[in-house]
Amino acid sequence: MTQKTIKNSSLAKVRSKRIGIAAAVFLLPALALIAVYFIYPIIDTFVISAYKWNGISADRTFIGIENWVTLFHDKLFWEAFGHNIIIMVFSIVLQIPIGMLLATFLDAGGKKFNFFKVVWFLPYLMSSVAIAFLFTYALATNGGIFSSLATLFAGKRVTVDLLGRSPQALFAVIGVMAWQYTPFYMVYFIAGYGNIDTSLYEAAIIDGATRGQYVRQIAIPMLGPIFKTACTMSLIGSLKYFDLIWNMTQGGPVNSTELMATYMYKLSFQQFNMGYGSCVAAAMFILITVIALLFQKVFVVKEDY
Amino acid sequence: MKKKLLGTILAAAVTASMFAGCGGTAAPAAADTSGGAAATEAPAADTAAADTTAAADTTAASTGAKQTDGKNLPELTTEPMEITLWDIATEEPGRPIQEAAVARFMADYPNIKVNQVHQQNDNYKQQLVVAMSSGQCPDMYISWGGGPMAEYYKSGFADDITDMYNKYDHPDFIDAAIAQGSYQGKILGIPFGSLSGCDIFYNKTIFKDLGLEVPETLDDLEKVCATLKENGITPFALANAPKWTGSMYYMYLVARHSGNEEFDAAYTQEGSFGSEAFLFASDKIQDWVRKGYFPDGVNSLSPDDGQDKQLLYDGSAAMMLHGSWMAGSMSSDNDEWYKENIGVFRFPIDTEAEAKGVPQNVEIGTAIGNCFNFNSQGDQAKLDAMYVLATQYYNDDTYNQQQMDSFQTPSIKGYEEQVTDPIMKYITDVFFNASNVQLWYDQYLPASVTEVHKNSMSALFGLEKDGKQIGEDQDAAMKAAIAEEQ
Repeated sequence: MTQKTIKNSSLAKVRSKRIGIAAAVFLLPALALIAVYFIYPIIDTFVISAYKWNGISADRTFIGIENWVTLFHDKLFWEAFGHNIIIMVFSIVLQIPIGMLLATFLDAGGKKFNFFKVVWFLPYLMSSVAIAFLFTYALATNGGIFSSLATLFAGKRVTVDLLGRSPQALFAVIGVMAWQYTPFYMVYFIAGYGNIDTSLYEAAIIDGATRGQYVRQIAIPMLGPIFKTACTMSLIGSLKYFDLIWNMTQGGPVNSTELMATYMYKLSFQQFNMGYGSCVAAAMFILITVIALLFQKVFVVKEDY
Repeated sequence: MKKKLLGTILAAAVTASMFAGCGGTAAPAAADTSGGAAATEAPAADTAAADTTAAADTTAASTGAKQTDGKNLPELTTEPMEITLWDIATEEPGRPIQEAAVARFMADYPNIKVNQVHQQNDNYKQQLVVAMSSGQCPDMYISWGGGPMAEYYKSGFADDITDMYNKYDHPDFIDAAIAQGSYQGKILGIPFGSLSGCDIFYNKTIFKDLGLEVPETLDDLEKVCATLKENGITPFALANAPKWTGSMYYMYLVARHSGNEEFDAAYTQEGSFGSEAFLFASDKIQDWVRKGYFPDGVNSLSPDDGQDKQLLYDGSAAMMLHGSWMAGSMSSDNDEWYKENIGVFRFPIDTEAEAKGVPQNVEIGTAIGNCFNFNSQGDQAKLDAMYVLATQYYNDDTYNQQQMDSFQTPSIKGYEEQVTDPIMKYITDVFFNASNVQLWYDQYLPASVTEVHKNSMSALFGLEKDGKQIGEDQDAAMKAAIAEEQ
């Protein structure tokens, strides 16, 4: 009896060891890629942030935490961070509810609304750069949609300057972002609706529930987890946002749409200040991680009841 | 707990992917328009990098006689050699002209292969920085002189060619062109672009209809503006989204009010960007903005989309202060209309300043559109070859004639005589009569100050800050940049 147990346990050991080796072999390529393309750049970003370096030269000067001290007092950086937070809030408030509404509508309509499904998804298929150009024209003061419409209704030449002034530039950009990303959340929620078992719907109907009751009391609560993931994605996305803003306003006018990422880019590649640019990048990394963690924490607490 | 972990990993991965992107080639199509050179024309459309070896192969049959025969030049190697060259000639007419120059070189020296890569202008400077930092710097590359070229030199990616330039033959470049390709008295760049003046284009037809004369003084200019405004025409077509366009007005007003003096003083911070001429310029501009002399929403209009010249085309604006490359651009849009309607005059003089003896012929512009810098890393044979290519094949008669045909005046003595288009002729004459040519601030100032200067221009035209405030901002940036240097 004792012998058997020993034999068993050693067999188990051998097996688990083998599984361990196999797992290591299978995971190694992926881990190597992650190490080279994710972990090393992150560490290197932090390392470079301790140097004064123009990004080209072979010699860098070690300056310790000087960049971090500058960053702490850098009004522009915190302003940019503020813009990121504003964008984050508005992204979550605009994109997710609208995406959900559209999804609910499409889910209720079934196949009849396939046309809308395709059309509404189109913005997400366009590249950010293309969207940026599209909207620079659409929002232009000179022949843009808004200015032309305003001129039409007012009967005289009226200019609606959405991108050239603060603070409307930031909100114009937020609107364009919503236009671009809402379709993504729409599809996400459609998938969520699709995952709800039809038997639940049938049971609800047999119990005498209306379609509205089903949506409000069964379907939407069942979408809870999806809702949380969507929020997290939107949050991270808006904190590291770059391409659309860069191509529409380059952070202007007068830094009114400056984001952490555009600021980092300008420092690193236009002002030959790679050390400080890396410092901004590292700070972004820290801030985004902390905010995402906090967000998760809040939701985990809610999940408990 | 699992979710928490997932969230963290997700956050980390998403953030990290962004940093990783910075090290690679994922540089987005940055609409960097700080370059005032003719080449900045190139719109952000076409696909980039093209190899021109195909074009060269057809002409590679060497006949023995070279176009460099009999000149005082270094003896080039007969060993096989490869030269990587980066330019931004993605568009007509620059592209065929530059490809032909390389093809002529390779025909004469079949053992030397030039890999000519056309980079997209929009993200070229970023590409170059990435290439340099990762040890992939091309052997010769285009630059615009000024602050960035100084950084390349200090980092060891631009050869000092002063000795070669003094020893060997080269085109008779105008002094200002060589000066702009130099840093601290060392020649680093061989010009191959063209000079760009900066003058006011105006609609002759509108002026004639309203009985307006070409203004010679600032007072005249303001009278013209008032008349235009009364007639419902915006005086100036300006698209200030990239900010260097608005800077032209600022630079000229400063130059007319104080010559080079106050700017030079502000540059060393012995003076200040808040001194009299700068305040004069700021106040003037803001006065004009308030009077509606610039288009509405000026800060969101972009010259890359041609939104300034469109205002000129549809008759809603009458004048446009712009670089001379605009002449070629308008002519290629509609040559007939251009010839019929467009005239040009130099920025009017400031009579008050003139009375005090301030020279009124300091002009704004650039003596070289661009130049080639060389990165031989000590390989003298390669440097010799690149020197010959840049001075004898670029800048040869064929090249220069082709440049002239496309509205560009090479920065070489004598070519100003050959300009035929009356508008280009006028611009070139103004340029050559200048007592001094002030390079665009956004190329002349250190990179960190440029950013502040450009933002100041947005704030100025947007009436968000006054002259005193932008003066303080620019002073602070300049002081920081000077401290950095030491």
